[in-house]
Amino acid sequence: MTPGGVLLEARHVTQRFRLPNGQVLEALRDVSLAVREHEVVALVGPSGCGKSTLLRLLAGLARPAEGQLLYRGQPLDGVLGAAAMVFQSFALLPWLTVAENVAMGLETRGVNGAARRDAVARAINLVGLDGFEQAYPKELSGGMKQRVGFARALAVAPEILLMDEPFGALDPLTAENLRSQAVGLWRDPATGVNTMVVVTHSVEEAVFLAGRIVVFGSNPGHVREELVNQLPYPRKERSAQFEEMVDRLHAILTATLLPEPEPAPAAAPQRLPPFARVHVAEVTGLLDHLLTRPDGRGPVFELSEDLGVDYDRMSAVVRGAEQLGWVTTPGEIVQLTPAGREIMAMDDAARKDATRARLSRHPLFARILAMLKEGEGSVEDEEVLADLTIYFPFIPADSLFQTIIEWGRYAELFDHDADAARLTLLTS
Amino acid sequence: MALKPLRLPLALTPPPLRRLGLADVVVLCLLCGAIATVVAFAREFQAPFLQAVRIDVSPVALPKYTLFSLSRGVIALLISYLFALAFGWTAAKFPVAERLLLPMLDILQSIPVLGFLPGLVLGLMSLFPARNVGLELAAILMIFTAQAWNLAFSFYNSLKSLPEPLRDASRMAGWRSSRTFWRLELPAAAQGLVWNGMLSMAGGWFFLMVNEAFRLGERDYRLPGIGSYMSVALDRGNAQAVGLAIVAMVVMIVSVDQLLWRPLVVWVEKFRLDDTASGVVPGSWVLEFLRRARLPRGAAALQRSAYRTAVRATEPPQRPFRAARPLMVNAPRLAFGNPIARKLGVGVLVAGLAVAAGLGVWHLYLLLRQLGPSDWATLASSAGLTFVRVMGSVALATAWALPAGVVIGRSPRLAQLMQPVIQVVASFPAPMLFPLVIIALERVGLRLGVGAVALMVLSGQWYILFNVISAVAAIPEQLKEAVTVFRLSSLARWRSLYLPAAFPALATGWVTAAGGAWNGSIVAEYMQVGGALRATRGLGSLISEATAHANFALLAGGITIMSVIVVGWNRLVWRPLASWAQTRFQVGQ
Repeated sequence: MTPGGVLLEARHVTQRFRLPNGQVLEALRDVSLAVREHEVVALVGPSGCGKSTLLRLLAGLARPAEGQLLYRGQPLDGVLGAAAMVFQSFALLPWLTVAENVAMGLETRGVNGAARRDAVARAINLVGLDGFEQAYPKELSGGMKQRVGFARALAVAPEILLMDEPFGALDPLTAENLRSQAVGLWRDPATGVNTMVVVTHSVEEAVFLAGRIVVFGSNPGHVREELVNQLPYPRKERSAQFEEMVDRLHAILTATLLPEPEPAPAAAPQRLPPFARVHVAEVTGLLDHLLTRPDGRGPVFELSEDLGVDYDRMSAVVRGAEQLGWVTTPGEIVQLTPAGREIMAMDDAARKDATRARLSRHPLFARILAMLKEGEGSVEDEEVLADLTIYFPFIPADSLFQTIIEWGRYAELFDHDADAARLTLLTS
Repeated sequence: MALKPLRLPLALTPPPLRRLGLADVVVLCLLCGAIATVVAFAREFQAPFLQAVRIDVSPVALPKYTLFSLSRGVIALLISYLFALAFGWTAAKFPVAERLLLPMLDILQSIPVLGFLPGLVLGLMSLFPARNVGLELAAILMIFTAQAWNLAFSFYNSLKSLPEPLRDASRMAGWRSSRTFWRLELPAAAQGLVWNGMLSMAGGWFFLMVNEAFRLGERDYRLPGIGSYMSVALDRGNAQAVGLAIVAMVVMIVSVDQLLWRPLVVWVEKFRLDDTASGVVPGSWVLEFLRRARLPRGAAALQRSAYRTAVRATEPPQRPFRAARPLMVNAPRLAFGNPIARKLGVGVLVAGLAVAAGLGVWHLYLLLRQLGPSDWATLASSAGLTFVRVMGSVALATAWALPAGVVIGRSPRLAQLMQPVIQVVASFPAPMLFPLVIIALERVGLRLGVGAVALMVLSGQWYILFNVISAVAAIPEQLKEAVTVFRLSSLARWRSLYLPAAFPALATGWVTAAGGAWNGSIVAEYMQVGGALRATRGLGSLISEATAHANFALLAGGITIMSVIVVGWNRLVWRPLASWAQTRFQVGQ
């Protein structure tokens, strides 16, 4: 099917949220996206890039702080009735049976009596759930629950199917099975669904489903790049063209997730690089794994697959190791540096010393150490948090602070007193 | 087999600590207004009230009185549910309302409402001088004030913690607010509402007994009910009738538990949101019976088909399925959708509240101005005495309930065995026993000045016991195994595991126990036992006495001081302590 006219459009959309601690996070900044008829669009990117936020905006579930959403050229006012949504957590009402859950959207659309029973039966039949009509969701497996989710969406014969990581909570086997069924539903004219927007975490899933893949960058969320995928349906995951498309998407994602270091920031001394929010054990685990590989190197996506970590988390760990000078990342290759090898050969105490030396040179830690010295060896959490909020308005300050404490404690640079809510300098 | 921990009303866990804000000031001002209004009402009281209903102490009359009491409790509970739904919904939907209503609820649930009882009774009596309506209203209103707050908190919390995807799903389905309320919000809150209703009912009996047996000085405001039956039986020294009244109360509590709460608790398991099974699902023979019975099912089917016919009759003719798809489902519009109208509405509301608050403060000031320095000195010293009693009662209750709670809570078998017993015993209204306890204490030579402490223990101890049991029962099995594996001595086990793990729950239990003790002081320090008045110095007796002698300025002063002490102590001591304990000793984060 070839894409037709523009169906649903986001124009220069910006969205902000207020966190419980008062910090205002910008989730999306100036995002424009047009979804055409007969098209499947996948939204991919690191967590916190606002792709789910955009999906909720497209559904009319939230209003943007700035910008406009249009359905067939008309401004979107309230929930988009032409769309249905499938959720990662299924979002089924536990006190309703499968049939009642599927019928959720019908009554308000004026479908009653026999017509409603027909619609429910048809939707249940489409996803292969016949016989389960009177079951309660808690009696079903995850895959079955998501089938109910699909049936509920299909029952209202939506033009647009919006899916928020629909296979994210399922085991790989079930996910694969449901994925091909989703493509089947889209291609089947009987369902009425002609357009799909799917938020996903999996590169293969995006390539399998979508005709157009939109890659988001974070801090704040923005569109980095779009990739058109013209592989014919049904797609074969083992084919060479499929693999090639996956590799291309990997390359784009790597450029987003592991950007090449910027040229010397001498011009703007007040800009601090944030420290990747990863645990000490994750970084040493990565180095350990690299040691077992020939030449101590490997592509980031392969590493994430081998270690069973999703690519988004993997690249955060790689960024952390890179900030400490233990790996370099030429392209999508992660390469253990001599310093990285050295540190893995050390005993615990020496490793802590080396980490301490590295961390003290990191601008963010250097700044906190300076604050500590200024405060005669102790500084209140509040003060550091306020500082972090100013320097990194797009990162939840609490979580970055937790990372800083963990690394600081590990390297015995400073300690944290949770009762007094203060950081204290450790003098060695 | 994992034991389902005893559940506590959500209101028992401290809400996040807030700084005193403008809303609190408004609420406190409105509270002043309420005090002034109740006192003003009482002032209207003129004619001596006709002698209240005659109570028949023959055993034959007892079932009738028991039913009277039961219906008061049930009516009040129904009103409390309505209030809770309206309140929780409003607070969860409108941020402006939330900012005002939450502190209000917070204060309302901590002020000693019994302090308002004498004024309220007198006031409502004057509205309906010839009949018992005023008394009945006062009784129901008092029970309501004991039942409503935790229900409202529970519903509000359920609404606030409803998972976002479920809300999204119902909005994508095009559900309007009324449908969302009935099909999503109310079912999701059902569990909390039932469990809290059970606790509310128990709290309500306490107030009902006080109300039914209410006397002030020479005046008798008793209502026909099990509480007044008991008090008349005591007056006449009729031991048989006293025993029968206690039996009737226990029978009533057990039947309500078995016939109403048990089936409801089992039934609402259906509305559990999380997938985790709750360990042992309680059984209910009544629900089993109803499920097996044909008649209710037939009635339900009939009702359903009647509903369907009615819906069909009002519907336009069927349209084909495909054409039924609307282009756009508009967002539900509220009457105040227009921003100007909304601002105007909020403005009027705020202005109205400000005027009411201002008037309240002014009237209270006019009343309090009449008090001389000696009155204030009396108030202060009485408040000090009662404060010492309250703290003493909390300490005494802790002394027995903490070890008992740990022992019961750490053994699943014992907890399962004791749970129903404790529930019934805890539901038993302590004021019914007050006179008996006083007589017993006098036999061993303890005067009311000390004896009142024992009575206040009775009013507050269960909160501590329940909280400790549920906290200890919730300790992860692995932690218990760890202390066994490392062969800690039993002293070390208590010190390093059970006491720290129980501490957060203990601290929240103290908040409620102290509240119960303050309430109890109003009854305990000034009561009629066997025809004679027993009174001891204290804030509680001061309030009762001021009402009896129509000293309205002193009454207003007493209520104000008690409210200020309780609310202030909660804000400045209990809450910070509880939230500190929560962050420091929370097991398993």
